[in-house]
Amino acid sequence: METLVIIVFVIGYIAIALEHPIKINKTASALLAGVICWTLFVLSEPSAAVTDSASYGSFLEILKVELGDKFNALSSGELYREFVTTELSHHLSSIAQILFFLMGAMTIVELVDAHHGFRFITDRIKTKNPKTLLWIICWVSFFLSAVLDNLTTTIVMLSLVRKLIPDKEMRLFFAGMIVIAANAGGAWTPIGDVTTTMLWIGGQISTGNIMVTLFLPSVACMLIPLIYLNFTLKGTLGDTTENDNKSHDNVVRSGNLMLILGVGALVFVPIFKTLTHMPPYTGILLGLGFLWVVSELINPELDEAVKKNYTVAGALARIDVPSVLFFLGILLAVGALESMQVLHHLASWLDHAIGDQRIIVTLIGLLSAIVDNVPLVAASMGMYNMDVYYQDHMVWEYLAYCAGTGGSILIIGSAAGVAAMGIEKIDFIWYLKKISLLALLGYSAGAIIYLIIQPYLAVHPPVH
Amino acid sequence: MFTQDSIDHIGEQLNHHLGQISAILFFLMGAMTIVELVDAYQGFKIITDRINTRNPKKLLWIICTVTFFLSAILDNLTTSIVMISLIRKLVPNKDMRLFFAGMIVIAANAGGAWSPIGDVTTTMLWIGGQISSGNIMLTLFLPSVICMVIPLIYLQFTLKGELGSYDTEPKINQGNGDHGAYSNQPVKGSTTMLILGVGGLVSVPVFKTITHLPPYLGMLLALGVLWVVSELINPDMDESEKRPYTAAGALTRIDVPSVLFFLGILLAVSALESMEILHHFSIWLDESIGDQRIIITLIGILSSIVDNVPLVAASMGMYDMSVYYQDHLVWEYLAYCAGTGGSILIIGSAAGVAVMGMEKIDFIWYVKRISLLAILGYFAGGIVYLIIQPYLAVH
Repeated sequence: METLVIIVFVIGYIAIALEHPIKINKTASALLAGVICWTLFVLSEPSAAVTDSASYGSFLEILKVELGDKFNALSSGELYREFVTTELSHHLSSIAQILFFLMGAMTIVELVDAHHGFRFITDRIKTKNPKTLLWIICWVSFFLSAVLDNLTTTIVMLSLVRKLIPDKEMRLFFAGMIVIAANAGGAWTPIGDVTTTMLWIGGQISTGNIMVTLFLPSVACMLIPLIYLNFTLKGTLGDTTENDNKSHDNVVRSGNLMLILGVGALVFVPIFKTLTHMPPYTGILLGLGFLWVVSELINPELDEAVKKNYTVAGALARIDVPSVLFFLGILLAVGALESMQVLHHLASWLDHAIGDQRIIVTLIGLLSAIVDNVPLVAASMGMYNMDVYYQDHMVWEYLAYCAGTGGSILIIGSAAGVAAMGIEKIDFIWYLKKISLLALLGYSAGAIIYLIIQPYLAVHPPVH
Repeated sequence: MFTQDSIDHIGEQLNHHLGQISAILFFLMGAMTIVELVDAYQGFKIITDRINTRNPKKLLWIICTVTFFLSAILDNLTTSIVMISLIRKLVPNKDMRLFFAGMIVIAANAGGAWSPIGDVTTTMLWIGGQISSGNIMLTLFLPSVICMVIPLIYLQFTLKGELGSYDTEPKINQGNGDHGAYSNQPVKGSTTMLILGVGGLVSVPVFKTITHLPPYLGMLLALGVLWVVSELINPDMDESEKRPYTAAGALTRIDVPSVLFFLGILLAVSALESMEILHHFSIWLDESIGDQRIIITLIGILSSIVDNVPLVAASMGMYDMSVYYQDHLVWEYLAYCAGTGGSILIIGSAAGVAVMGMEKIDFIWYVKRISLLAILGYFAGGIVYLIIQPYLAVH
């Protein structure tokens, strides 16, 4: 049954990649793949791979406590089905967190945009030279992403380039580089990227050390593609269509206020998380609720119909809901693979077949371009024992780098990429042709630099 | 003030609730999109063309009966969404349509209460083993019918006005600019889309029964199939022409603010639940009142303010299955009350919230015009249940 699920997953994946030739929207393929994977999973005979796993064991323990005497009345088939639905609801709640976060962030950006808030920044960037602009944008993304999460960084930077670069073709290159820069910038700080954060919270890496060892590799990961584009990028930024600037000038005067509140709401999310320990999506919903109220009250003189365009309700009508459902479908499918222990088995198979951790971790990074890096890192954390691989061991640092930056190789490999795909309508194939190779070059360059400098910065095992 | 343990516990609770809430929301999004898609293909025209009566009272009876039985098979939410899109075509007069919308909420909630798959609270009790499917259908059918028929008879004598008519241009979705642009041109595939759409919705409980997976997955499966069909059904159209007729186009027209409204309100209720406020409240009720019939009647009325799912969940925890055996009065009456009590306020049931979103029904308007009718129906059905219960009781 695992084989069948993998086949469905791969077919779904191919259908997503070939969205345009086969003329079927990628969201439809993703939803079908996600649902069919789970259906096959739940209808399958209990497989040893699942029932022998640690998560199945702890599931039984919990159920035993919950049900008491009734537990013994359940057949193994019923237990298995119960396990699958429990796993599913577990996945759904973590997926929903990402999706509502994404919806909130997209709406806030759309709202600031409706109020022409980004003009405050775009008016200040005077350069008309694409290469100079690319350097500025990439460095800003890199450092912004070290503080904020990759997703928010990408959304903010993309809405900036949308204003700065009218030329569609040129803008796609910028979007691709923003994805690379955001992922690279997130890898070297404990709060910049969800996988680095996971390793940091788990105690596998320490703040100071990860920043010292991964800063240079991360910079290299972004610089190599940037330097390449510096020599090869051709074309102009294009002309701003003048009427776009004029038409709404007189309608709303709240651009700057909305920009401050919008960016404030996004920056507030990590602060809210630190203060309350609540998941990020609640922070963004709080920000969204606040902006919603402000957007309703800010223009009291406008009538209902005109005002609607400047409220959150209007902004919600313009966000890309199909992308949200695409995300739902593909994450459900990956969740099925994870719960069936396919990912876990792949990792331990790699360990047996290859042995050298540097190669395995590099491969995990490459793999993270296809599947979500969170379950990969989670699986790796379970694979290597902390007693052998102590804090700040090469394995953990290199894993933080690889899982953080490897996702740039395909557009669907990182949350930043998926957001860029949703906002800028970047085509999977276009990215594969024009950006993937650059991302791969940067990834390898950073990896080599890490492996070279690592011996000089290495932490030695704690003495017992 | 907070220990790490309590933070972990709250985080876990929140995750748990988010999982349940998003299962409802994705279900809702899927159902809304499917209905919107069938609508884009003018699929409902096939049904509306068959209803020729211009008599408002007769039409109200037809609509309510259809809603009642549809809701017994489909969930209340989908039923209301389908029926609302139907009356949008049949009743152009806005004032008159609000009465129809109100009655659809009552009929959908009443129709859902007596079948194990018709309503989420009845389903909860069914899955938990508190009620059995044959018995619940037998005992609650009559009360549910009464619950709908009483308001209907009242309106039979008092309803005034015309159905109204659309002017030369039947623009259906006010405020949706892109909608009117194509609503006049026939597009092929409307029968196919109607069959697939309704088939997709009906397949959701079937999918659930076969796989035991939550309903939203069945809904997403149906949406995925319809999406593919909608992309392939008109191969001669170019990309931009085709877009309004695909699920991607339908998704831009669904009411996302309502989805977020639902998210917010359900998160708030779940906070109350996790803080044990609901649980303490029901214990307090039990101590100060004692008679379960009164308590459950009150729970039903309460369910018009708070979500009925946590109420039923709390009640399920309150009464022990070893004392209150399967098909005991407590469970059956709870299924009836929690299922139909929500009609009393528009925010009291998923059906009501969806109707509020689609038809822009005002909270106050509903309180003035429909709430009293709903209360009448609610009590009438409750009394009928308590009268017939001794004759049908399981020992």
